[in-house]
Amino acid sequence: MELAARLEAYVVSRLPQAQRVTVTKLDRIFGGGSRETYRFVVDYREDGRDVSRPLILRRDPPASLIETERRIEFAAYKAFHGTRVPVPEPLWLEEDPRHLDHPFFIMEEITGCEASPMKLTGPPWDAHLAKIGRQKWTILGEIAKADPDALGLTGVMPAVTPETAWRHELEHWLRDLDHDELEPQPITRAAIRWLWRNPPPPAQRITVVHADYRTGNFLVDEAGTIRGILDWELAHLGDPLEDLAWGINRVWCWNRDDRAGGLLPKAEAIRLWEAASGLRADPAALRWWELFSCVKGQAIWLSAAREYHDGTNHDSILALAAWMQCNSQDRATLELLGHLG
Amino acid sequence: MKPDPAKVLETVSMMLIMEFVPQLGSSYAQQALAGSATILAVARDEIDRAAARRIEENRALRRLFATAREVVTDTDLAARLTEAAAGEEGSLLVSDLDTSNQGLRGLLVRLHEHVEALRGDAARRLEAAIWDELRASTERRKTILGNF
Repeated sequence: MELAARLEAYVVSRLPQAQRVTVTKLDRIFGGGSRETYRFVVDYREDGRDVSRPLILRRDPPASLIETERRIEFAAYKAFHGTRVPVPEPLWLEEDPRHLDHPFFIMEEITGCEASPMKLTGPPWDAHLAKIGRQKWTILGEIAKADPDALGLTGVMPAVTPETAWRHELEHWLRDLDHDELEPQPITRAAIRWLWRNPPPPAQRITVVHADYRTGNFLVDEAGTIRGILDWELAHLGDPLEDLAWGINRVWCWNRDDRAGGLLPKAEAIRLWEAASGLRADPAALRWWELFSCVKGQAIWLSAAREYHDGTNHDSILALAAWMQCNSQDRATLELLGHLG
Repeated sequence: MKPDPAKVLETVSMMLIMEFVPQLGSSYAQQALAGSATILAVARDEIDRAAARRIEENRALRRLFATAREVVTDTDLAARLTEAAAGEEGSLLVSDLDTSNQGLRGLLVRLHEHVEALRGDAARRLEAAIWDELRASTERRKTILGNF
């Protein structure tokens, strides 16, 4: 049975009170290396009225850019839905592969928006870049301010302490890097040695870390309003500086200038985040997390290269990601270490 | 080969984007094919410079290793540096040059770690030379795709 029919059968099972349920306009969305993402529309009749809902299907692929935990991603959407952190409403999580061959979840589609950084740097969004930037860093501050326990996420995400958060993350990405590198990485290896020699101070507090908070992972409408933060697949508990550092990494300077995320000067981004989170971005601690972000980024690009090289995933986004980012990530590393000249 | 493979890749990439992408019905198919066309365009540039980049870098690394022998205190590493510095390319096939490059870059990782732990001006000068080479390596690897 084709995907649309199987998806329709699943939706019927989740809407027992509805009649005349149909799934139409199923269309895969390009990009997103860790999940297959589709948009579709479900129409049905319920309580005497016709309902039409645009939805998103996020399905695990056979192999992916990032090995992630869909249950945590779904829980993050649930936790933040209805808060000051805008996210699409999550509907159903399904881990039984008999329905669509792989685990998946379904959520609301936020329509009329754009996420692609290539498009956000052009009209009509380019007229709103500073506005988008102010929201972006303020929302990230809200994520850092949120209480993970009150959100119900401490029971889902592995616990860490302020003293061990950095080590937990560094060891995690080093395992990936060691496994996936196809050739020696002298710049990244030098950065790793620096990170071990210069550990950061303990986290100010343990918060939810989105872990891929960057331009490209949020939806913006044509008036420049951020309507949804996406791609929570790497979310975990940790040091909130991890998110700030990742978001200001050089490789996300889509306008090829100094504006963090292609949106705002780095200093302004940090100031907005501090104001919204109530936390301080200690320069030395932030520098550690910025360099860590380069190592983590390289681990992700090398993983993409490995997947494509081994033939476990032929999605061109993997080859493009590796070719686009590996060298830029090395240059970002050199800059942070003071050796770019 | 004529037409040049680089010219063929450039033309195929352009044809895909200009003629075939607009004819596809789904946005996913359009973007996936456009992505593949971009890969061909980048590959065209890489094919042109692949041998030159590796030869230049392998020579630079061998020169660096020749000067490093006098500084390192690890006899096994010194012997490996001596051997690598005296090495030559046995073949100009890109795959063979790449194998040499990976061996030399792996040795560079070990040298860099060793030098970081040494004291003295000579070690610092060598460390600076290693950073210079690493910076040059990123210049050699720049593509049209990278933001930075």
